[in-house]
Amino acid sequence: MAIDRSKFIGRFVEEAREHLARLDRGLADLTQNPGRVSQTEIDALFRSAHTIKGSARMLRLTPICDTAHALEDLLGALRGRQLQLDEHLGALVQQGLDAIANAVEQLDRQPDPDALPPPDGELCAALSAAAKGADPGPPAGQPGSQSSEQARERATEQAMTPQPDPAPTATATATQAAATTTTEPSRPTGTEPSASGLSGSDSLRVRIDQLDGLLRLMGEIIAHHERLRQHPDEARRLARLAEPGITPACEAFARQLRDDVQTQDGLIRELHDRALALRMLPLSMLFEPAARNLRELARSLGKTVRCTIKGDSIALDRQLIDQLAEPLLHLLRNAVDHGLEPPDERLAAGKPANGWVRLEARRDGRWVDITISDDGRGIDLARVRDKAIRKGLLSAEQAATASDSEIVDLIFTPGFSTTALITDISGRGVGMDVVKSSVLDRLRGSIQVDNRPGQGTRFRLRLPLSLAMTRVLLIEAGGERLGFLAQHVAEILRVSRENLLEVAERRAVILRNEFVPVMSLAELLDPGFATTPAAAPAATPEVLLVILRVGQEKLALEVDALQDERDLVVKPVPEHLRHLHLISGFVSSGALAVVSLLQAPALLDLAARARGQSVRAGAKAAAEAGERASRLLVVDDSLNTREIEKDVLEAQGYRVTLAEDGIDGLHKAMRDPFDAVLTDVEMPRMDGFTLTERLRALDAYQATPIIIVTSREKEEDRQRGLRVGADAYIVKGDFDQSNLIATLRALLG
Amino acid sequence: MHILIVDDDPLAAELSAAILQAAGHRTLVAEQALDALEQLEANPDLDLVVSDMHMPLMNGLELFLEVRAHDYPCRFILLTGDAPGDLQARQPRIDGCLLKDHSLEDSLPRLVADFAPKAGPKVASGGQPA
Repeated sequence: MAIDRSKFIGRFVEEAREHLARLDRGLADLTQNPGRVSQTEIDALFRSAHTIKGSARMLRLTPICDTAHALEDLLGALRGRQLQLDEHLGALVQQGLDAIANAVEQLDRQPDPDALPPPDGELCAALSAAAKGADPGPPAGQPGSQSSEQARERATEQAMTPQPDPAPTATATATQAAATTTTEPSRPTGTEPSASGLSGSDSLRVRIDQLDGLLRLMGEIIAHHERLRQHPDEARRLARLAEPGITPACEAFARQLRDDVQTQDGLIRELHDRALALRMLPLSMLFEPAARNLRELARSLGKTVRCTIKGDSIALDRQLIDQLAEPLLHLLRNAVDHGLEPPDERLAAGKPANGWVRLEARRDGRWVDITISDDGRGIDLARVRDKAIRKGLLSAEQAATASDSEIVDLIFTPGFSTTALITDISGRGVGMDVVKSSVLDRLRGSIQVDNRPGQGTRFRLRLPLSLAMTRVLLIEAGGERLGFLAQHVAEILRVSRENLLEVAERRAVILRNEFVPVMSLAELLDPGFATTPAAAPAATPEVLLVILRVGQEKLALEVDALQDERDLVVKPVPEHLRHLHLISGFVSSGALAVVSLLQAPALLDLAARARGQSVRAGAKAAAEAGERASRLLVVDDSLNTREIEKDVLEAQGYRVTLAEDGIDGLHKAMRDPFDAVLTDVEMPRMDGFTLTERLRALDAYQATPIIIVTSREKEEDRQRGLRVGADAYIVKGDFDQSNLIATLRALLG
Repeated sequence: MHILIVDDDPLAAELSAAILQAAGHRTLVAEQALDALEQLEANPDLDLVVSDMHMPLMNGLELFLEVRAHDYPCRFILLTGDAPGDLQARQPRIDGCLLKDHSLEDSLPRLVADFAPKAGPKVASGGQPA
């Protein structure tokens, strides 16, 4: 008459997770402001542990039961106020919770009670001992076991019956004393909300696969509805062709059809949103286990870490939650393993021995921004540089001239890992390159890293709330309809052809204070693509540019026409087409038409390669012409501007080093002698005027040509630039490479 | 039999229900004692209450006293995680106290099967909790 336990194991896992989350939060509250936590809340914590224990015992999950049992004892002593929670006890409770959570996760992966590892005897003993520290001890003449049994029963019964908060004891801490003076009206115990607050009647369990089926169907309906949207136009066209006698009727029909389709459109979208909301889960599902994992890992490495979580009530589609688990875990492991220093190293660096890791989420419209930051040592640029050279990713010269952010980005290169020794922790299986590709490809998001050497690292992820519908920009180029995911489109603009710059054999456009390379999308996709005479440059005085942005890089793509921007269901690339890196998915638009979505990061790489070839060719030609290679330092906070200036200058045979702001530029200038410096004005940390002044104060740079290249056109700025010691002041708006080169040649003699 | 299961842990309640249903009984579930009393009022055909001991607001023993005070003509079994023997000793009128662990799968249907018209109080031979 065996009942099917496996079904209950799944239920147990779900409920235990909820209880553990409550316990985690409660413990955090208790450690942060013990005086503020009401007796009711402590009772609830005790009950959660008690419930986990009870269910585990019924399901014969002995290891979980034993740990929960010991934890329950300790919580019982805390709720009886026989114990005060201090740091040591807090850590012990946390360890108990983590141990239970790990067993629960193991059970989720393998729902076999017999496969659970035995409980951590030391931990259980420590928990029980801590609880007993509060016990008065068994009265003489009674067997201890029974008395503690009765003590537990009493404690449990007390916990189960609401009690008034005991008045603060004489040992009340300052916070408690403060808390009692803030007049918080204590509720009479009779008006406590009854029961556990859970009522089964207003919720319903639904199988995930049924929900997925429903959402798939919704996707089909939306795709099909796209076709329907074409019909009103068609009906209007037919109405115009109709015989005069029935024209009014046809027109009325077309109008009616248009109204109906629009109404249906709104309803379908709302239905889809609501269906989607059914599958949304709070980020806490991910954050809490991840934080636990992090603390465990820190413990095993002999480091202590405080993990703070913010914004984990934001809900994401379950698909995303599933896909995000692995990259998130890897980033957190990375923070503990590579980021945080051991306590002695931290103390030596003047930091507190405990490191912190922050896991924060912020909702931004249809997006969520997740940051993982630590206050560890940051990414060691010198080591990354050396390693990149050793691995042959960069030549020594490239490594010397690359900017800091470019060096940091190398950690995302396949096979790159900064630990000298592959540790069992972060060096296993998944690397940063996999993190990056899953964020970009699977999650359709973006990832950025901010590095502050000696102070920590911050990874920023930006993800859509759902993958079911995606904002898509549809365009036309070279006679093809193509699309971009909206998150990669920074802006769209029309500029007159004469405003495009010719730079290093390439076109560029100036966006506010930066140069962005311009390429024709049709030519980029098909180098042999010849513009039809009709669309020849001369024919259109204006160009339509779609500005793509990935990380800090931008690329302006010339397209023929914009078609639409809409939320659409994106179909993934089928397996047999996965090798086409340029395509990230498909959308159906209108009658049976399938439109390819272009993968922006891949396009940027393609464009960079195309540019690189022409630059190298130019540099080679210049070198062959026997020019002396002067060394130039280019300082600009816009990656694109740096790159373009570098292209221009390298094509002339100069050797170029890049810096991303005044401080970076100053350091590089002090390290190596340069023959000339080009700098922007507006930059974080140190602007170009200050940099010029500081450089002029150095002996080595008293006579070095310094050229300011900026979008500031005001005469007073120009005067100021010359006053602080610049030799030339070039405004980006009238930037013309021959002018820059001529200026340089004149200055360098 | 028609049996009312009272437990504030929905999972434990479902497990008990599954065990009893497998033995051919019909079950109802109440999440706490007050809810149980309402169910008893609404379903006069209930033959048996199987209640958890530790619940918020009113524990199993108190519920038992309430059930008797209302004169509901049903049997009463108490489930507890610790020392069922002690509980039975404290309240001999209860029809049975069982240890709430995996042994319930056998002990509960066995005890319920004994509730033919006669049968006095029973104590399960569940050991002390580990």
